[in-house]
Amino acid sequence: MKKTLIASAAVLLLAMGNAHADEKTLTISVYAFAQDAYGKIVYRPFEKICGCKIVVETGNSAERLAKMEANKANPVIDMAVMSMADALEASRKGLIDKIDTSKLSNYDKLYDIAKDPNKDGMSIGYTFYATSIAYRSDKATVNSWNDLFSKKLAGQVAFPDVTTNQGPPALYMLGIAMGKNTPDLKAPIEEVGKHRNDIVTFYNRSSQLVQLFEQGEIWAAPIGRFAWAPIHKLDVPIKWATPKEGQTGGMNVMVVTKGSKNRDLALKFMDFWLSTPVQKGLADALVDSPANKDVKVSPEVADNITYGADTAASLKLIPSAIDLENRNKWLQEWNAEVAQ
Amino acid sequence: MFQNRAEGLALALPAAIFAAIVFVLPVIILLSGGLHVGGHWSGEAYIRFFGGSLNRLVLWRTLELGVLVTLVAAVVGYASAFAIVGLSASAKGRMIGLVVLPLMISPVARTYAWFVILGRTGMVNKALILVGLTDRPVRFLFTETAVFIGLLQLFLPLMVISLVSALENMPRDVVPAARVLGANWLQIFFKVVLPLTREGLVIGGTLVFTGAVTAYITPAILGGSKVLTLVTLLYQRVTIANDLVSASVIALLLIVMSFGANLLLKRLATARNRT
Repeated sequence: MKKTLIASAAVLLLAMGNAHADEKTLTISVYAFAQDAYGKIVYRPFEKICGCKIVVETGNSAERLAKMEANKANPVIDMAVMSMADALEASRKGLIDKIDTSKLSNYDKLYDIAKDPNKDGMSIGYTFYATSIAYRSDKATVNSWNDLFSKKLAGQVAFPDVTTNQGPPALYMLGIAMGKNTPDLKAPIEEVGKHRNDIVTFYNRSSQLVQLFEQGEIWAAPIGRFAWAPIHKLDVPIKWATPKEGQTGGMNVMVVTKGSKNRDLALKFMDFWLSTPVQKGLADALVDSPANKDVKVSPEVADNITYGADTAASLKLIPSAIDLENRNKWLQEWNAEVAQ
Repeated sequence: MFQNRAEGLALALPAAIFAAIVFVLPVIILLSGGLHVGGHWSGEAYIRFFGGSLNRLVLWRTLELGVLVTLVAAVVGYASAFAIVGLSASAKGRMIGLVVLPLMISPVARTYAWFVILGRTGMVNKALILVGLTDRPVRFLFTETAVFIGLLQLFLPLMVISLVSALENMPRDVVPAARVLGANWLQIFFKVVLPLTREGLVIGGTLVFTGAVTAYITPAILGGSKVLTLVTLLYQRVTIANDLVSASVIALLLIVMSFGANLLLKRLATARNRT
């Protein structure tokens, strides 16, 4: 009896070991929102093609960068997506490698701005987005970034935390609206601090906003277009503002981790993600605006994403280098003026 | 019980080695992170931490929440424990079951339930408006009040259970005896019940306080970045700033606070006993 038990345990262990060895895994680190849609459109179909398993870690861009830095000697993830500025920082800190674009069959289909946004060959844009203000049209109107602090919206606004991708662009637009747009964002940060008690929360993940809008906790929030779909579908009247100062936004890029053992698989995965059908699938699901210029979408979809080269060019973006140079200063000012 | 001391020690050795490797050693490494910066030993990280007004504010808020939750849990806990101890055996079992039940639900689910209940359109606000206490919804979410409520619900069962077992060990006739001798309820509680149940209070209080100051999910969901506590600040320092030095400082503060609370409660309990 004892012998049989030991033998069966050994067989089981061997079988498990084999299963492990046969199955390749690709570990990716991405944003937390719309994971169901990504699973359906990107991860599961790719797993079928490659016969591998995709392990997904989620978090915001800053969290991901911190984790990559902590695991520098022993990288856990093979590829990641992050903001342009975080990609530049990752590149300066030696956390990522040059991307071999000759292995990406879809590279030439990308809009020019997405091909090498930081001009260092270390990242590729896979989506860009506008950032504006989503607001309850039955409660207020928003025509300017200043309207976030209007009397009607006092106590009803969620503002992005300064450490998120949406934080600095929202502050930048607020500065433009105030007529005080310096790279240190001093004036807008002070303004947010002054209205601290009128702000419900400083959010860290766009995915939090859906519940806040649904429960009526907030009536307005600066958000990226990628987070618009679930909010737009809610049973409350919510509109996307077109403020007179314009819209800001950003581009999300793909990077490959230095020292990753699955480079070829990671590149195959990226190429799949950039392919026309996948980019169209993500656009139709209102998840990501396509960076692939071959993608054609219906007018209804185009209305709800950030579509086309002209739109992309019209967004007022903070250059990555300025973002990196000022980041610590922003956080210090924010901690002094807003966080307490 | 053992034939000699050596045998007893030998039996304890595996557990001791295990604890040393997986607990004591990591804690020492973790805590040295705040004192051993850039290759030399210094208290600079601590000076820098306490120099930041945001850090001081967060430390104070965490202490305040911990003390408040423990105090209210003690008051509510004594009342419920008294009620439970007085029940018949089968009813007691059912009541303790009910008290323990929330501990079996994931804290994430429990905290999200509060998120809905305390919302502007939630049950609490609906009730407040219905009885006319307010004409527009009160903001609870992302306030210290919400964090307090969430933490109290989370840790109250630990206090109730500790006090129930303490009260059960108290001789049954001491309260009637004190009554006969003319003590009022306040005197009975402070001079008879409290001294006899102080161990339960010390255990319950330590569990509740330690739990409240080290909880992450509740302050993260119900407080957010506007109501940072030491633990949510620690999370921020590690995940966003990759600042392991500050994280190590905060970890030490949390350990000191937990031990401090335990010592203080023990001291208070024995002091009360002497009077």
